[in-house]
Amino acid sequence: MFDLIILGSGPAGLTASIYAARAGLRFTVIEKEYMGTGQIAYAERVDNYPGFYGLDGYTLGEKFREHAEALGTKFNEGKVTALANADGVWSITFSDGCTTQTKAVIYALGASPRKLGIPGEAELTGRGVSYCALCDGAFFAGKAVAVIGGGDTALSDALYLSKSAEKVYLVHRRDTFRANKALTDKVLAVPNIQPVYNAVPAEIIGTDKVTRLRLSDGELAVEGVFIAIGTVPNTKLLDGLSVLDGYGYIRAGEDGVTPAEGLFAAGDVRTKAVRQVITAAADGANAVNSVCIYLNSLTG
Amino acid sequence: MAERVSAAEFDSKVLASEIPVLVDFYSDSCIPCKRLSPVLSQLESEYAGRLGIVKVNVNFESELVSKYEVLAAPTLVLFKDGSEAGRHRGTASKDELIELIKSLV
Repeated sequence: MFDLIILGSGPAGLTASIYAARAGLRFTVIEKEYMGTGQIAYAERVDNYPGFYGLDGYTLGEKFREHAEALGTKFNEGKVTALANADGVWSITFSDGCTTQTKAVIYALGASPRKLGIPGEAELTGRGVSYCALCDGAFFAGKAVAVIGGGDTALSDALYLSKSAEKVYLVHRRDTFRANKALTDKVLAVPNIQPVYNAVPAEIIGTDKVTRLRLSDGELAVEGVFIAIGTVPNTKLLDGLSVLDGYGYIRAGEDGVTPAEGLFAAGDVRTKAVRQVITAAADGANAVNSVCIYLNSLTG
Repeated sequence: MAERVSAAEFDSKVLASEIPVLVDFYSDSCIPCKRLSPVLSQLESEYAGRLGIVKVNVNFESELVSKYEVLAAPTLVLFKDGSEAGRHRGTASKDELIELIKSLV
């Protein structure tokens, strides 16, 4: 049996694996994506993690991973379908039916893009609806697109798309953007970005591909709809464990200790004020410390 | 490593191929595409002789992109005997790709 299984290989899980290796724990990491490094890979630039100014998120994530590998971390690709505790032992079940057992779990599965939940969104995903401007921007060169959202991601996406698209509508439900001021000023100065304030998307229209976006008031003729309205924590596996708050985050303090014994939370899944690479990394370290205290209490 | 093909080579390397060919429409700025690359390499060796795998860079091959109506990167299109036999839009796990190709290889 493992002392510890770390679920997730983003900055939180990778940092936890560095601390677990140095603590001499018998542990492994489970990741849903082969060679993954979590959401950080998608950041065009990470300018708020000390020591790596100007670096892109993909490279920073790779550096985290190389560090974890250098200390002997073993990664397993697998999709976890269930997590249950019986008599102090956690059982983790995978989509292929296999199970593995561990004394402690660090849950660091991060977050995924939030969906709008409007008609046409699911049907037209990959047909003009996208959650990744960097991935799909090339398909809309010379065309009109809409970006939905008002935060840093939405505005960065709009800026990126404005370089190739003919026109970028930036659709936001409020009358001011939530993104940082420097970015907002930059976006508002770009001639082919048109902010559409106080507008709520109602339906994405198209048969084989997107042709229009219907808003609470009016319509836009666009071929691409880029959705950047934040994230939701990947905590569905914990639904039955009474550890989540009303928004789906795991109730845990800085020490990562959750209401379920032997289950620890790290990174974007945890209730906290600031969700960044640096706080995810800090969570990974704190969670392993809490795991060590917990494992000692079992033998003591 | 899957070979990159251009529009000019598409006929001979994909459409005229005697074995099914999986085409990875990718872009350089696409992280899921980078992630997929080692998975495709695994499939390439596991299905050697039964399945061809090639890559098309969507930033340079707009003609192929519009002909095959690709609107997401990565998009994996499976060709057999010159026509499309299956498609997966967006990033894919190895299992999903095996699911896509298994009836033909």
